[in-house]
Parts: sequence; C-alpha cells; structure tokens
Amino acid sequence: MTFVPYSSDHVDALQEIVNVAMGRAAAALAGVLGTFVRLSVPRIRIVAAADAGRAVRVLVGEHAKITAVRQSFHSDLAGEALVLFGEDGCTDLADLMGYDDCDEPGMQTELLLDLSNLLVGACLCGVLEQVESGSNVSFSAPSIIAERAYVHALVRPDALSWTHSLVVELNFSLEHRDFSCHLLILMPEEAIERMRALLDRVLAAV
Amino acid sequence: MSYDLFAFIVDRVDVGIFAVDRSMRVILWNRFMEIHSARDADQVLGKNLFECFPELPRRWLEKKIHGVFTLKNFAFTSWEQRPHLFRFKHNRPITGGADFMYQSCTFMPVKYGGDDVEAVCVTLFDATDTGIYRKRLDRAMASLKESVNRDGLTGIFNRRCLESELSKEFDRCRRYGSPLSLILFDLDDFKRINDTHGHLAGDEVLRVIAQRVAKNVRSMDIFGRYGGEEFVVILPATDLDGAEAAAEKLRSIVAATPVTFGEQRLAVSASFGIAEAAPDLTSYEALLDRADSALYLCKSKGRNCVMRPAAAATPAAELAAV
Repeated sequence: MTFVPYSSDHVDALQEIVNVAMGRAAAALAGVLGTFVRLSVPRIRIVAAADAGRAVRVLVGEHAKITAVRQSFHSDLAGEALVLFGEDGCTDLADLMGYDDCDEPGMQTELLLDLSNLLVGACLCGVLEQVESGSNVSFSAPSIIAERAYVHALVRPDALSWTHSLVVELNFSLEHRDFSCHLLILMPEEAIERMRALLDRVLAAV
Repeated sequence: MSYDLFAFIVDRVDVGIFAVDRSMRVILWNRFMEIHSARDADQVLGKNLFECFPELPRRWLEKKIHGVFTLKNFAFTSWEQRPHLFRFKHNRPITGGADFMYQSCTFMPVKYGGDDVEAVCVTLFDATDTGIYRKRLDRAMASLKESVNRDGLTGIFNRRCLESELSKEFDRCRRYGSPLSLILFDLDDFKRINDTHGHLAGDEVLRVIAQRVAKNVRSMDIFGRYGGEEFVVILPATDLDGAEAAAEKLRSIVAATPVTFGEQRLAVSASFGIAEAAPDLTSYEALLDRADSALYLCKSKGRNCVMRPAAAATPAAELAAV
C-alpha cells in the first residue's frame, strides 16, 4: 500500500486533539485513582513496520525487560494499544486500584490488566470523542503478551500484518509514587486514512 | 414488537446480564442470573448489589464500576486472574474440580443518547469448561516437561537435561568468574555384569547406583545419566580440589556395598574423571572432553579410582608435546 504522509496541518490538528485528550484523560484518571497523574506530551508519528521494534526499544531502553499488556479497540478507527511496564510492575498500586490483598499470584496480573485498561480507555476515548461524532468504540479484554521478557522479543516485524502504523506514545506516572509506564497506541493503514478524513473534517470546521 | 424481542433475548440468552445505576442499585437481572444466584429479579431489582451479595469483593468492584461511570469506558475481569465474582455453582459437579463457576465479565458503560453514563451493564460468561481444560493442560505440560528431562530407567536427569544445565552453568562461570567443575564416572566392567548376569541385573545395578549417588550429592549439584553406564555430576562453585574430594566420596560409596539382585550380590566399582572449567576451555563440550580424558587415565590405572586431567591437557603443554 502506498503511503502518503500527513500534511503539517493534519499533524498539528492531530497533535492538538491528542494533547487535549490526554489532559482530559489525566483529570479523569486522577478522579478514579485519587492521586495526581502525570501524562507526558504525546509523541505522534507514523512508523514503518520494519522500524516498529526499534521504536519500542527506544521508548523503554534497549536491554530492558518488560511486561506488556495489549488490548484492541474497534470503532471507525481500529487498532491496538500496548502498555509496557518495567520490571517492577506496579506492586505498590494495589491500594489505589481498590485491592485489599495483592499477594495472591493472580492479583498482580489482574492489577496490571486493570490499570492498562483504565489508561487505554481514558486516553483513547478522549481522542475518539473529538474526531468522531457519537463515538461507538468497543474494546477487547486486555491480555498479557509478555512477562519479564526482553524488548526485542516483543515486536517482530515479520509477524506484523501492516506496513505503516500511526503511533501515539506517551509516558504515564503518578505523583509521590515510584511508578511509571509507557502507553503505545498503534493504528495501521486503514486507520491512518480514516483519521486523515476525520482530520479534514475537523480542519474544515475551524 | 422488536422491543419484546430484545427483552426476550436479553432475558433468555445463556449469558449472565445485569446492570446497576450510579448508586449500585440493580436495574436489570436476567434469567441466567436468577437461576445461578437463586434470586428472582424482584428480590434483587431496586436493591443495592452489595447488600444482596455480601460475598462480592466490594471495595474493588465498586472502584471498578465507578471507573466505568467516570471514564465512560469498558472494564473487564477474567477467570484467569479472578476465577469468580459471584459464588455460582457450575454445571459440572461430577467432572469439575472447580469450586465455583469460572466467570469472565465485561463492564459496559450505558448511555441513552447523551454523553453521561446512566448505568453499567455487566455481561458474565461461564468460563468453567475453558478453566478446567486449561488446568488439565497445565498439569500435562508440567509432567511432560518433567519427563523430558528424566532418564526412563533410573529416574535421574538425562543427557539432554545435563547438557542444557552444563551449558547454563558454563556461561554463568564465564560471566561471573565463579569456579565450575565436573565429574564424569563410568561403572567398571559393566559389560561383564550384563554378559554374566543378564541385562536385568545390569539395569538393577544402574538403578541402585544412580539412587545411591543421588542421595550423596549436594543439593546444588546436578547429577544425571550421560548414557550407557556413564554418569555426570555438575559441581557449581567448586574448584578441582573440591571436585576431587566429592568424587572420592562418591567412589567409596559406590564400591562399599555390592548391589543385591535376587540371590546374588554383585560387586560394583566406578572410575572417576574430574575437570575444572579452566580459562583455556572455550565451551562446555571441551570441559566434558577434559573430564573424559581424566576418566581414560583411570582405566589405564586399574579402575576404581579418581583422576585429574593430565598436566599435558593444557594447550601450551599440548603444543610443546607435538
């Protein structure tokens, strides 16, 4: 599939939409978690499948061992979200998420899935409700795709079914807690084109 | 008409469906929920969910549902992490093995046209079959993994496992500079035992000696059958002197007591070659070779002894010998 890059107007509009969405997401998450939430300024770009692995390694560090949760979403725009946790996971977040006891083996995993779902949902809904009227997004259940695995084993370009993907990356951290994770939203070709049309509409309305 | 159809389907579908409003009052309770909770809709509707079901993990579940209202977003629970929300009986009382019905749930924000979430609808899937099959599969995989590393006759580790462990220990020794030694031993005149007393006697000797040695190695050592009548002990964090002492102990234990086979008492001894992962060795195979060369020396020394590799086994000396 030949791929036409976004114009600078498209990029600016998308960046603005995503910034606004993340501001809202941070406020909503703070409301749910009861603590101040920091979301980095999102980085938006289009990467080729061959570079996807490198993009992830640059984000989390070349030799890092990570735990990754994936979730897919379907709407006018469809794609996958990845949440990448460092080796420590998020042990000390149990109380924030309403867990009384996080010592049981399954609870750690559930906590990761819960937190990923919150993050992905908050961030994506914020983007979609700005570009789609009456957003009808639905999500798959989140699942763990890697546990304490090396980054290079996570994204294998030969296993990807797309050639280009729109990638939104951001970092999520909490005030007064030694915790952070990375969020990657990936939307393959069709979504890139669909988003272009939605952005045209937004730009025309300005 | 179509509303009746929807209502009928929601009520009768073989999936649990219920909904709560912002104050956690139940506003929908379908037949699946009625049957499995043994609570009719009119006993539950309009009442607080947690008062109806005190066994629910309230703090966590309230937070989860609250999150759906606030973030206007889906939430999920999976049987894999949390086997059940409600204490429902499952329909496999005989073939089961699970205490309660395994449940996977999806929490959906309900909007009526506007932007606000008016209710949260929960769909609850019975995942008991999947869960039971997964447990069986996990058990089968665990036992397969175990048997793939075991020698069928003696029950100790097999060659495959020994080589993979030795390779790991060798890498660790290279990375951290900790010592590593190896014992390779071989039962003396084993062919004679087989020829004179039969293969069943030979098998019994292998079994008895394997068990005897297994009881006398340290817990950190890795002991297995390398093939035929050859055995290997991997000694992590042990230098050549330590390996020599360990081998000498095993040698005397093997030779001390004859093996009983039926009416017969078969005298057994073994020859022991030892080697250390010296810096000139570049692979674990080379370490095995060096222990093998020491074992060969034993055979020429009359067996039932422990030998180090000859000094000539260092590359410099080998070159000098050429």
